[in-house]
Amino acid sequence: MLKGSKFWGSFFVVAVLSTVIQPAALAAQFTTAETFDINRFSPNGGQFETFYVTDSEPLGALLDSNLISAETRVLLTETATGKLAFLTDQMSFHHIAQGEANGQPWMVTF
Amino acid sequence: MIPTIDGKLYHFENPGIYDGLFLMADTETSTFWNHITGEALYGELVGQRLPLSNLLQMNVEQALAMDPDIEIALSPYEGPRIAGGQYARDDETRDLMPRFAGTLGTEDERRPRMELGLGVWTDQTNRYYAVESIRAQGNFVIDELDGRSVLVYVDPISSTPAALYVDAGEARFEGSEIHLSDGTVVRAGSLVGPDGGPRSVDRPLQLFTRWYGYARTFPGTEIFGED
Repeated sequence: MLKGSKFWGSFFVVAVLSTVIQPAALAAQFTTAETFDINRFSPNGGQFETFYVTDSEPLGALLDSNLISAETRVLLTETATGKLAFLTDQMSFHHIAQGEANGQPWMVTF
Repeated sequence: MIPTIDGKLYHFENPGIYDGLFLMADTETSTFWNHITGEALYGELVGQRLPLSNLLQMNVEQALAMDPDIEIALSPYEGPRIAGGQYARDDETRDLMPRFAGTLGTEDERRPRMELGLGVWTDQTNRYYAVESIRAQGNFVIDELDGRSVLVYVDPISSTPAALYVDAGEARFEGSEIHLSDGTVVRAGSLVGPDGGPRSVDRPLQLFTRWYGYARTFPGTEIFGED
């Protein structure tokens, strides 16, 4: 489960963003990319939480522990320290993951 | 993607939906960003674009075949579908929820809204390969992309479409492998040389997605088999 403080902290940040950023207000404040129509934006209320990655573990060891199977779906990216996997189902919740490898920031979206 | 602009790190959240897809917003300026192209769409950072790289889809077995030492990042999130099974987005019969559909602009009706396909793009070209069209070709096609040969195939293990540049003009399936006419083999998503050793793989930017999302992101995209 999500840790309570972390979850609500992120919820608050996104909820504030969603509350403050309403289409009419934005239209008056910001420049717009050529084809972007702010009236079609639908806020989600901050229900998703970015995954800030601070550590990782060997995929093979996780498979050996039977917590996942050989058929479990994963997503693969390349970072400065090599390939890094994510569980597809976890990323279908987070949608965004960010971290650093050898001091070089990376981000994946799904 | 690389979440830095002029050396400054930005942090991204998911504030909502646009074009039936989630948007990103950086928490520093609240600028909205396209999560596929990395382009700033709305806000003070319009004009900026984040560098892209591929996020490949496969299963654990294939990932380990690609790199036995690969690491995985696990989040505390325990969703309802973690323990394997087929990801729900593979269901082409599912319709787009009204809340998502309401964010679509004028739709490109050349293909069915919820059809699954592989979108491939470069600086010069963007092209959509419907999974159905790839399957109709025998589960793979060698196409040309900006003068280079590109193999587009449906992986027989994960049923996920993928694309990579090749030097071969012909190919054939042997079991779960694709044998190319230059002697190389696509095995578990990796390229293997005639000597059995790994070869470096060069892939165009690609995204396994539904038609509506790709068509809204790349208006007027080429469609394999129709252009």
